[in-house]
Amino acid sequence: QQTTNTVEEPLDLIRLSLDERIYVKMRNDRELRGRLHAYDQHLNMILGDVEETVTTVEIDEETYEEIYKSTKRNIPMLFVRGDGVVLVAPPLRVG
Amino acid sequence: MEVSHSVKERTISENSLVILLQGLRGRVTTVELRDESAAAGRVTSVDAFMNVRLAEVTFTDRQGAVSHLDELFVTGRNIRYVHIPDEVDIRATIEEQLQAIHRVRCFGGHDKGRREFLHAKH
Repeated sequence: QQTTNTVEEPLDLIRLSLDERIYVKMRNDRELRGRLHAYDQHLNMILGDVEETVTTVEIDEETYEEIYKSTKRNIPMLFVRGDGVVLVAPPLRVG
Repeated sequence: MEVSHSVKERTISENSLVILLQGLRGRVTTVELRDESAAAGRVTSVDAFMNVRLAEVTFTDRQGAVSHLDELFVTGRNIRYVHIPDEVDIRATIEEQLQAIHRVRCFGGHDKGRREFLHAKH
């Protein structure tokens, strides 16, 4: 496999984020924030210093309002299987 | 260092990150499944399709019930995460696996053996 310096295909954009912190949206309402150490064509990734956020929605039985709850946890080094990945982006900035 | 006996599997491993998981053989890790259950145990083997065999497993199901299994096979498709132990040097592990594949490929010397796919065609 040759590595080039130019951006030729979408996967090359991920290459630009190597060793940077990234935001990964996953299936099943999960999000990851961590440092990208490695990735492959399937979007299998190795992320370091990861924070996983799982978001759930509960419906209040009386008021029927939607209550969004999120659970976070930290994992030092994680291998992520690519078929769960929805999108990869630089970390979202607040405000 | 054990390498798959299949050319197809060796090629798939060589060209994807699953090769790192194959280097975790013998290590104790936690595999988190798609269905929110988790299996913590010693990695016996990982194939090119990410199918994982674990031994001495503590299995926590979706509801949180814990059970102990001597052996567990997890289909690659059902894996969501694999925790990498802190002491693993990722780059070195991948290099060792690639070298093991290279040794198999060039078995018998430079003018002997099958010499599969030594040079890229393009």
